[in-house]
Amino acid sequence: MVNTLWLKEIRAQVYTWKGTLWLLIAALLFSFASYLMLTDKELSLLDQTELLWMLSKIILGTAFLIVSIDASSILAAEFEHETAESLFLSPVKLNAVLFAKWLASLTLWLALFAVAVPYMVVTSSGTRLAFPFLGYVLLLGTLGIAGMTLLILGISLLFRSSKNTLTTSLVILLALSAPGLFSSTLKASGLAQIFARFNPLDNIFEALDNVLVDYQLSLLQNGRYLWPLLLFGAAAFAFLFVSVRAFRRQGYIKHE
Amino acid sequence: MSETPSLRSRFRAWLGLAALASGLGALGLSAEAQPSSVPNPLVIEILSPDLLSGTAGDYVTVRAQITNASPNALTDITTYLSLIDTQNKMPVDLEDWSAERGLFIGTIESQQTLPLNWKIHFVKAGTYELVVVANPAGSRTPQVSTMTRFQVTPKRNLNPGQVLPVALGTPLVLILLFLIAAYKRQRREKS
Repeated sequence: MVNTLWLKEIRAQVYTWKGTLWLLIAALLFSFASYLMLTDKELSLLDQTELLWMLSKIILGTAFLIVSIDASSILAAEFEHETAESLFLSPVKLNAVLFAKWLASLTLWLALFAVAVPYMVVTSSGTRLAFPFLGYVLLLGTLGIAGMTLLILGISLLFRSSKNTLTTSLVILLALSAPGLFSSTLKASGLAQIFARFNPLDNIFEALDNVLVDYQLSLLQNGRYLWPLLLFGAAAFAFLFVSVRAFRRQGYIKHE
Repeated sequence: MSETPSLRSRFRAWLGLAALASGLGALGLSAEAQPSSVPNPLVIEILSPDLLSGTAGDYVTVRAQITNASPNALTDITTYLSLIDTQNKMPVDLEDWSAERGLFIGTIESQQTLPLNWKIHFVKAGTYELVVVANPAGSRTPQVSTMTRFQVTPKRNLNPGQVLPVALGTPLVLILLFLIAAYKRQRREKS
């Protein structure tokens, strides 16, 4: 049943060319970035590992944004199009529906990753980092995006509105990426360091810096960045669990 | 005539005072100079060549050794690198240059020599000077090694020959896939 629901979601996404246009726009963005990095005189002076780190930030930043927007509407749209009632009253468990939608959101990330692979291969050619680069972007991206989509599905169940879910999700994404704009003095403050320790985006980019710039390739050497991502995923799952219980208590048709 | 011996004696007294003052000054000076005569308890030698050259992105290993020249064992010694960009006349933040910014030595016995190796990543083109510094616990003056120079040449990643097919090809393949999918869908809808 999960498989059928997941395929239905994917078909709905790719049914029209408009549904997949974002993939083409993302490919154009990666083309532009990688071409500029490898041909521009100033940018090409960058160390190649630093260049890979920049590209990984562009790929993961784009993925987080696109998947967050998609996950914000994938469930909430069922309430707005009034298809939620028939969906939840059919002999399909709510958990199966949520799992299928979560898988569909993760599939978008995997599609985006597949598009990014040629760019990652061409920019890392000549280094020994091609496989670690691909592997760690896939691993860290999957962990981070899996947690983020669980969180967004939980918000969707509580809000039952695409607009509110999307606004909240984007604000959360902005808050998680805000430390990137901080100066090094601000980053050194105690509060900022505690936030960075648990912030999934910070941990993803720190891990990539550790792998690509400091050449610390093993999972053990990156364990201190991986466990906060697992913790974020567990916290997001717990939030979804609470949202499901609240949703069941309120009933499928919410009475304001 | 009676005043002459008195003037002489006064002159002698002044001379005596001046000699005493200069003697005391000399004693003071020698007391100040005393620490410089104490030999450095730690001797740091860089075993790598005086000039290390490479291209940005390369890794080199700086090999050094530290010897305890004092008759006693020394504890809690922090050794670290100090890198100076000689073109910009500024010290360099070693964050990306070396994963290990400092090496800690718990105890070094008298006359014992320990190796100090740092893997250095040439991050940016330029000329640099590197010294190894050792700071024993409780010491007021750190011990510094001789200087090693880095000559880092820029690495240009200009390879449009490789990136152009990917940068143009990937969006074109995606457009082609979308067109095929749209064509199949239209055929299915018509049938």
